[in-house]
Amino acid sequence: MSERSSSSGFLAPALALLVTAVLLTAVTLAVRLSVASAGERLKAPELEAEKPKVAVAGHAEVAYCTPRFKEVLERVLHSCGLATGDSRRGCKPADVKTFASISDEDFNELFTPLKDRGAVIMYDMGKEDLDDRAKKLLEDKWFDRKGARYFFVVARASKTGSVDKNRALSHRRANSVMFHLKEVGKDPEIDKKVGLLWLGNEFAQLSKEYCKWPSSRPDTKCDEEPINRSAFVSWVDCRL
Amino acid sequence: MFGSSSRFPAVLALAGAVLGLVFAVYSTIDYAQHLDRRLHDVHCSFIPGAPATSEAEACRAAMYSPYSALLREQYWGGVPISLFALGAFTFFVGFALYLVVANGRAPKTAVGFFAAVSVTPLLVSLLMLGISVTKIGSLCKTCVGIYVASFLLAIGGLLALFTLRDAPAGGGGGYQDPVHEGTRRPALSFAFVPVWLVSLAFTTLVPAVVYASSVPDHRAFLTKCGELKVPVEKTGALVRMRSQRAVRPALFFEDPLCPTCKAFHQRLVGEGVFDKLDVQLALFPLDSACNWMLDTPLHPGACTVSKLVICAGDRAREVLEWAYDEQELLGRAGKQGEPALRAIIERRWGGAVLNCLDARDTNVRLNAHLHYASDNAIPVSTPQVYLGTRRVCDEDTDIGLRYTLSQLAPEVLR
Repeated sequence: MSERSSSSGFLAPALALLVTAVLLTAVTLAVRLSVASAGERLKAPELEAEKPKVAVAGHAEVAYCTPRFKEVLERVLHSCGLATGDSRRGCKPADVKTFASISDEDFNELFTPLKDRGAVIMYDMGKEDLDDRAKKLLEDKWFDRKGARYFFVVARASKTGSVDKNRALSHRRANSVMFHLKEVGKDPEIDKKVGLLWLGNEFAQLSKEYCKWPSSRPDTKCDEEPINRSAFVSWVDCRL
Repeated sequence: MFGSSSRFPAVLALAGAVLGLVFAVYSTIDYAQHLDRRLHDVHCSFIPGAPATSEAEACRAAMYSPYSALLREQYWGGVPISLFALGAFTFFVGFALYLVVANGRAPKTAVGFFAAVSVTPLLVSLLMLGISVTKIGSLCKTCVGIYVASFLLAIGGLLALFTLRDAPAGGGGGYQDPVHEGTRRPALSFAFVPVWLVSLAFTTLVPAVVYASSVPDHRAFLTKCGELKVPVEKTGALVRMRSQRAVRPALFFEDPLCPTCKAFHQRLVGEGVFDKLDVQLALFPLDSACNWMLDTPLHPGACTVSKLVICAGDRAREVLEWAYDEQELLGRAGKQGEPALRAIIERRWGGAVLNCLDARDTNVRLNAHLHYASDNAIPVSTPQVYLGTRRVCDEDTDIGLRYTLSQLAPEVLR
């Protein structure tokens, strides 16, 4: 064997060994470094700006949820026992007047954005019974909850009769709504969802304008007397 | 076919080995990057060296699958199989280079050994290809790169056998210049074969051993993703999927048209874990038709398919898995509109179910699912996974899944 052929005979395996060793070292080092780098990043908290922004699930919050609207409703919620879950259920006219700290007109104005979301459940004079159309409308509204957290019932009575009688009547009307919802809703947490307000004829009476709102008796004659023999019901799409 | 001095087979094998090495490097680095529990883009291209991209669903699906790594109960994410490819291709680069340089002087034993072992990456590739097609349902481009590289390597190795024809083995005879006629290959003892095999095993294992020895400890991070605020959905609206083997309660928030949910479900089933879980499913369709938390539908039609799952009653799992299997079709139909989607549903499940989809109770029940998500302030992304009341971090539901289960719910792995 010549010297030249002998040296080239060793060249191939030597070169292969060298390349393999270098490559193996390089890839092993790369693996080690990339794992170590990930380990360092793991220990270092990710900067808030670098974190992917993920929304958090919550109840609906729509445009009419103005600060003023929410302020009044929150006061009512807390003062009428809904938010705290205590035994006290609902607010009578004096409570609403006190806690809402708002004029009659402004109080009604707050509910204007709920015109299509809610409905006016109408009653016979001096009665609190729900007729079939009232039940149907109430159920339609109740089961169309979407993302709302609270359902408000604002019951009233017309000017006919004494203040005390109308206060009691509007209370019964509010309760008739609640009883029906309990019956059809079968919701164990209904007490935490429904806010009852009864205003008698003392506070925030509805004007004739409200006859144009969706109601359980759209075909009957409507003016300031019958429109106040009612309970306005609506889900409120605000985070209160 | 090839003369004894032809370099082509060895060059082909070398090219295959280098290509395989490059793809294996990218695959490994992608995997290792995720050890920091953050989201990263993934290399997913047939072109070696192409930049990482966020549009890499197939590569991500492969990476998150149970088949991408070994020892996944012992190490968070396991030891990726690309590490073994990395080491093996390193060996093949060296050996192929030797054959290229040695040309016709390489001993028959070396050529024969190389031909025999060069098919092993191809065999593994064929196995992984089968898994990709049958189990994962998609082909990752980087993986395909490795398959092609393995194919080139095997072809090169096998073609090298042709260079042995007409080349009498050296019987201790002297060297003859291969460039000229009368090439004689030097004889080499078969004792070298085990040496090469050990070398192959060594180079194959070294990167994996180094990786495993340096994987950071993730245990402290597993329990830092919160708890359910409201453990019980009081109206009983959630969908129950419980097998007789269930040993651990779990709660999933899922969207039947969400590809990540599908992949997660397939991982659980593939791992044999799903049947060990007493699953409560809260449907969380990312579709603004019913989900007020979205302004625009991310998965149009998801509300309808979610209602279908609710309507399925005891067959909820069957319907959910159908929805996952037909996810692309349903997604396309959802974009076309409700009638197209309902037509598919009717064709598969019959017309009666359409009444259920429209029923008030179904809508109310789905709404209760969404309110349950809202009450628990879950992230608006799916899936969300809870073991008991403990939230499983998103990163622990994919490559870290088996490790996380081994730490938080070892009973489901038995």
